[in-house]
Amino acid sequence: MSEPLTEVAVPARASEAEQPAQAQRLRRRSRLETWLFLLPAALFQLVWGWYPLLMAFLISFTDAQPMLPSHFTGLESYLRVWNDPLVGQAFRVTFFYGSMLVALTFIFPLLIAIFLMELPPRLMRWMMILWFLPISVIANSILWRYLYNEQYGLLEYIATEILHLPHQPFLNDPHQVLFWLVFPAVVVAGPGVAGLAYMAALQGIPRSYFEAAEIEGAGFWRKIWTVSLPRLRPVIAVMLVYGIIQGLQDYTWPQILTGGQPEGASRTVMLYLFSYIQNQRYADATALSIYLFLVIFAIVVLFRTFFKEDPDA
Amino acid sequence: MSMLFPKVGRKQPLLRLGWWLMVILLSLGVLTHLVPFYIMIVTSITPAQDTLSTTPVLWPLHPTLAAWKLVIQWAENSGAGALLAGSAGEPFWVYFWNSFFMTSVTLLISLPVTSMAAYATSKLLRGRRARWAFLFFIGTLMIPLAVLLIPMLFLTLNFPFALPGASVPNLPGTDQPFPTLSLYDTPWAIIVPGIFNAYNYLIFKGYFDTIPDSVLQAARVDGGSEFNIFRRIVFPMSIPVYSVVAWIQFYAVWDSFLWPQLVIQSNDKAPTALAIYTVMNNFINSGVMDRATALSQSAAMRSALAAGLSWNGLMVLALLQTFPIFVMFILCREYLLRGVRIQGLK
Repeated sequence: MSEPLTEVAVPARASEAEQPAQAQRLRRRSRLETWLFLLPAALFQLVWGWYPLLMAFLISFTDAQPMLPSHFTGLESYLRVWNDPLVGQAFRVTFFYGSMLVALTFIFPLLIAIFLMELPPRLMRWMMILWFLPISVIANSILWRYLYNEQYGLLEYIATEILHLPHQPFLNDPHQVLFWLVFPAVVVAGPGVAGLAYMAALQGIPRSYFEAAEIEGAGFWRKIWTVSLPRLRPVIAVMLVYGIIQGLQDYTWPQILTGGQPEGASRTVMLYLFSYIQNQRYADATALSIYLFLVIFAIVVLFRTFFKEDPDA
Repeated sequence: MSMLFPKVGRKQPLLRLGWWLMVILLSLGVLTHLVPFYIMIVTSITPAQDTLSTTPVLWPLHPTLAAWKLVIQWAENSGAGALLAGSAGEPFWVYFWNSFFMTSVTLLISLPVTSMAAYATSKLLRGRRARWAFLFFIGTLMIPLAVLLIPMLFLTLNFPFALPGASVPNLPGTDQPFPTLSLYDTPWAIIVPGIFNAYNYLIFKGYFDTIPDSVLQAARVDGGSEFNIFRRIVFPMSIPVYSVVAWIQFYAVWDSFLWPQLVIQSNDKAPTALAIYTVMNNFINSGVMDRATALSQSAAMRSALAAGLSWNGLMVLALLQTFPIFVMFILCREYLLRGVRIQGLK
């Protein structure tokens, strides 16, 4: 860390004896400053990052009662959670919801980013502002709750009055609810942060690659397939992992739209975990969260082994 | 900068058609992307009765600002107040202020703290120390929030201990329990855990790594302290990345829902996101949203409808929740659209 300081130009007039002392003083000051830079963030990361992580594992092995001192109970809460039939259902729901979300929406930011890059600068600016216009998730979920209303919602109107279908249950049908939860994200898909990352990566592709492809006679889609996508691969990999993790942990959207109904058909692991906390079953909630953590961890590891990030690989 | 369409032969009819097709596709996409905003705005200026009609109102035939007025002064209002008092008796600006306070304080503390740590790991530490510091800071990146939820809840209850209240150890040698600090049910329960975020750290670090060392060397030769170098030279260079992180964090804290739901109990401390959710549930439970009940008996309903409040009121709330996110986006857009382009998230 002191490397840069050795290059500090010391005035030539300084005597030979003074020189090392001054350098040392400078170095000490710089080391102190480095610690001051790191300290606040390190404290927060330690207290609100690593410490809770460690305690999560400890708490899951106790009974964590709210009113009485906790006792070490070993794997009891893990077994209780494992044998809870609703946990199995929650994991099934979560997998189904998460994979459907990723499968149906992952492609849109990518396509939008690739297409946006083709526009002339001025048009691209305006399009970007409109495309990236954010909406509050809370606001959006309340809006969709209105649109999905069984009696007077817009979707019911479209289904019965325009398409002449029979009355549709939408969110009230246990077999369809997960699809209808994902549906809004498909219809009003936006590029979001993933789109920004793709656009950044697209800008980093040397123009010569596309020119070379063009000389070889590659057309529009061919260039996307053989130049853009392979170059974007590292970003796609990161975004895919994030997408899966986000999908498996979604809480706000199902909570506001369905609250886990009907019959728990949309009760994701996060919703179930929340109901554990509300019932003050803290140890069980922690055990459940660690199960979820292990599942996510396994997915990330699998992903890393099968998906090489290096675009030149 | 066009890459996919060839530079020569752009005027060919087929290529031109393709280009226009793409532009039309993008424009149509943007339109559907904007539909939610449109429906929210239209519904918010529709009379309460009409929001319950089986023919959805897609064009405001009888525009009225009744819902806006009611929401903004709902505490004093009697008709809708009866319905809302049980859930959200405070005037709306109380929730708005709560959200605003916790979001802005988080940003004000978090941005300098996170960026300074990222700067130090990027430019002041070398070799093994830098690697360890980096791992220490991003090690929690992939940990799902779910795992930290319960220890963090205990931490906000009994501050230095991430344990349930009854398990807090006694002071050594006495029967007195260790003194603890409770952040529970205060805005600090939301602010403090949000200050350091590994993801934001990574964005900052990625940006600082691209600043050439020679820039800093020159300043060091001139005898600037590291802090002055950071403040006078690095910070002005890094405005784009600051606005990107500020935007991401503003969005995250303003729209956070799960964590406030856990740690905020009193009604007057709730952020807007929570208040809206409570109001919505109250509306639905009181039968205001059910067409049959609404039009026949529910007393709450009749008074609410008489006051002009139904889904239109909820849409007003939804728009008010979205509005600050909008403003922040417009403020940061220049850097957001450019800054992310420079650096990316990888």
